[in-house]
Amino acid sequence: MTDDHVDIHKLAAEIEAEVRARRAAGEYPPGFERELDRLFDRFAPPEVSNDFDAALERAEDLVIVDPVIPVASRSPVLGVVKRVMSKLLGWYHVWLAQQISALATAINTALRLLGARVVELEHATGDIARARGVGARIAAVRDDGAWEAPVTNALHGCAGRIALVECGDGALLGALVSSGLDAYGVEPRAAIADLALGRGLEVRVDDGAAHLHAVGATALGGLVLRGLVERAPLGELLLLIDAAAAKLAPGGRLVICSLRREVWGHDATAAEADLVAGHPLHPDTWEAVLPDLGFADVQVHPAGAGAYVVTAIRADE
Amino acid sequence: MTAVHQFVPTLAPRDAVGGHYLAVQETLRAAGYRSDIYSYEAKDEYKRLARPFTSFDGDARAAPTWLLYHSSVGSPVADFVAAREEPLIVDYHNITPAPFFSRWEPALAGALMKGRRQLAELETRAELGLADSAFNAQELTELGYRRTSVVPILLDVAALDSAPPDPATLERLSGAKNAGGIDWLFVGRLAPNKAQHDLVKAFAAYRRLYDERARLHLVGASSSHQYEMALSAFVDALGLADAVDITGPVSAGALTAYFETADVYVVASEHEGFCVPLLEAMHHRVPIVAYSAAAVPETLGAAGLLLEAKDPYTIATAVHCVATDAGVRTQLVEAGTERLRAFDIDKSKRKLLEAIEPVVGTP
Repeated sequence: MTDDHVDIHKLAAEIEAEVRARRAAGEYPPGFERELDRLFDRFAPPEVSNDFDAALERAEDLVIVDPVIPVASRSPVLGVVKRVMSKLLGWYHVWLAQQISALATAINTALRLLGARVVELEHATGDIARARGVGARIAAVRDDGAWEAPVTNALHGCAGRIALVECGDGALLGALVSSGLDAYGVEPRAAIADLALGRGLEVRVDDGAAHLHAVGATALGGLVLRGLVERAPLGELLLLIDAAAAKLAPGGRLVICSLRREVWGHDATAAEADLVAGHPLHPDTWEAVLPDLGFADVQVHPAGAGAYVVTAIRADE
Repeated sequence: MTAVHQFVPTLAPRDAVGGHYLAVQETLRAAGYRSDIYSYEAKDEYKRLARPFTSFDGDARAAPTWLLYHSSVGSPVADFVAAREEPLIVDYHNITPAPFFSRWEPALAGALMKGRRQLAELETRAELGLADSAFNAQELTELGYRRTSVVPILLDVAALDSAPPDPATLERLSGAKNAGGIDWLFVGRLAPNKAQHDLVKAFAAYRRLYDERARLHLVGASSSHQYEMALSAFVDALGLADAVDITGPVSAGALTAYFETADVYVVASEHEGFCVPLLEAMHHRVPIVAYSAAAVPETLGAAGLLLEAKDPYTIATAVHCVATDAGVRTQLVEAGTERLRAFDIDKSKRKLLEAIEPVVGTP
């Protein structure tokens, strides 16, 4: 063993800092991580939790039960046994599989009919789901410069990783990283995420809520919410704040960047306002709800004429 | 004489939790308690060590009789102990959250959800919740368990030396090593929560950045056929089929050979309730690089390079550091040896009795 004792925690932090610096300097092939993610996703079953059509398609893929018994085995002897069993029991499996497939097909058909009726209802009520789908694809274009200073100030000295959910083209994320913060971005729209990746930033292409769901409990030192706080309907917004409370470490910092209600629907946000279910909340609303959702020291900071920033601290249990 | 009978879903050899059940029985019996094992199923040579759980109809020879239920995926054993009148202790080894499996194995996800529901329902019956880690104990507390104790899994590390390295495996691995490149190792069931796909991504980055001759060994049986197939296809698509070895289940001797030839043990798991292979890596003096999630930091202590980020470049850079800096490697190995003492089986047995005796009384 060498005489020089290494501080292992410090070493891990240095490695992470080195990777961030090299990433920022453009030393890593920019599309490589995205390509790895895309490649694995090609082989993974689709995530179906929120998409009725995808869930139904997945069910239809599985509806025919395969009567062919798998006989492959690492053991030659077991392989022979399996083949013999397969021959002996094959007719029985076919009989069972046909009945199960028939039942599953009937259920799927009923679901398909139900789905069609729901679509008709949606059309009758103005096809809200379709409009939301279109709205979700529109980038949240914001003047990040307006809230750069209050956000950076709020996160100054923040310990631990900081997630910026809906980082857009990375302007705000870049400012956070440049100020020495350990921040990464999440952006659901791949084309927009590519702009942020092009700045050498660490960006996950993922839905903001889904990403927060996957993050370990109390794993984050800070969380910045941008874009989706104006677009999500109130129920989803509350779930998002619940997730933020669960994923921030005690003492962790929540920062909400929001437009003011008065400017929503004007200029760059006109299409969003027409298509999405949500709208910006009044700052007073955040002040009223955050203490009930596990946050303390809630403060509202102005950010130019049409925007504001809310900061809060994850309260200790 | 007081009895503490164990109720387990499955008793199987070559399984850390199975070994734990037997060690618990040995500890209880040595302390003077009556203790048998009742299971839903017992496998291979362990069949003679357990009785069918449905055969339990009270213990007329013991007063009082306690039931010790080892929580797992949804099991009729949980419903059985819930319906009994004897006082209950729950030993929680963690249940993987169902969302990890919902897209891969919906049926298994259902069983996991049922297991967590049963665990929550047993709270009203349990006088004590035992947990392998503070992480698991916290989950019990969140479910309303009023009294919990952390008792590490009873793992006899010395027994790991009883299986000498399998000569054929050792020869194959050593032969590959002679051609150059380092060997990454991860041991654990192929499962989405263990994130072997993230290890493959990090390994691909490592080969691209540092050493294109490196090899990755993913040792362990599969918990998800779908995940295994996707992982294999992913490896093939990356052109890494010759470098990534997805072994399936291996013998104890082959496992020893993998540990003996590994240069670094790498963990990217998203969810672990304890992570026994970390102790095996420490025992075999393999330096550890791990993503900090769930109970991993608690089990690892200061005996590994613990990363807050798990992107491919960070893991690859950490592995490169361990592989190329002899001082760091030696320090991690020594720290592992030291850390292992905290999980000494005799110490853990004492903790078990210290947790149980105040609740069930002396034998």
